[in-house]
Amino acid sequence: MSLIKEPLPGVVVDGDQAENLSLWIIHMTGAEGTLYEGEHFQLQFKFSPKYPFDSPEVTFIGPNIPVHPHVYSNGHICLSILTEDWSPALSVQTVCLSIVSMLSSCKEKKRPPDNSFYVKTCNKNPKKTKWWYHGKICVTSYLCIIDY
Amino acid sequence: MGNCLKGSAADDISLLRGSESAGDSVSDHLGLPPPYREAVPVYYPSPNISRPVNQLTEEEQVKIAKRMGLIQHLPTGSYDGCKKNRECVICMVEFLVGDNVRYLPCMHIYHVNCIDDWLMRSFTCPSCMEPVDAALLTSYEAS
Repeated sequence: MSLIKEPLPGVVVDGDQAENLSLWIIHMTGAEGTLYEGEHFQLQFKFSPKYPFDSPEVTFIGPNIPVHPHVYSNGHICLSILTEDWSPALSVQTVCLSIVSMLSSCKEKKRPPDNSFYVKTCNKNPKKTKWWYHGKICVTSYLCIIDY
Repeated sequence: MGNCLKGSAADDISLLRGSESAGDSVSDHLGLPPPYREAVPVYYPSPNISRPVNQLTEEEQVKIAKRMGLIQHLPTGSYDGCKKNRECVICMVEFLVGDNVRYLPCMHIYHVNCIDDWLMRSFTCPSCMEPVDAALLTSYEAS
């Protein structure tokens, strides 16, 4: 697995998951020089039997969910490659890289403006949310615009 | 107009899966399809929309039939050991000399089974995201 051979800085796969290959836990550390420097996060990847033709379900889990305009407090992430821009050429490694880079480019730590409504009403599976992506603006099906 | 997707299930499967249709009809008789294979073939009229063959609208059937035709126009070959493309990025397995591969107009190559499965969902190259139909058209115009 290339994630072990060519690790990304601050990204470690939980070694103890041989029993369940369809559920991976990734430990991530905020990159140096960013708002998340030194913070630890856990990402959960759920793979359906149709992977890699279907995107994995990726959410933040654990005690520390990053405070970010595209990350809801329940761990759901608004990132187009996790739904409509998915490609089977993407891997766990490239998805982690996108998430690290999404966190790193953040200028101000804040939750999405529709966070409380979304968290109360959303499906457990973030892939069931109809995410709308318009360049730098992220609009969920609840029609809330994130000023980012 | 003839309906090439609906109708008898065995015929649909033979279009898409070739020789596997025999196995499917056997499981149909037993009434117990293997858990990893859908009893009714499922198609993807758009990415993220999966529909059993008997629930496709006529428009979707036409789209899928066209898609299947276009895929057949993409050249295939057997892997020649070319060092530039070492692995199929879809299944992440290294190509072996003689593997059946398909060439997209952008010159990215994949195992035939891997890429065909993807192209039926989204007609783009997984590596460069180039729309395959536009590129196909350009390559026809150029030649």
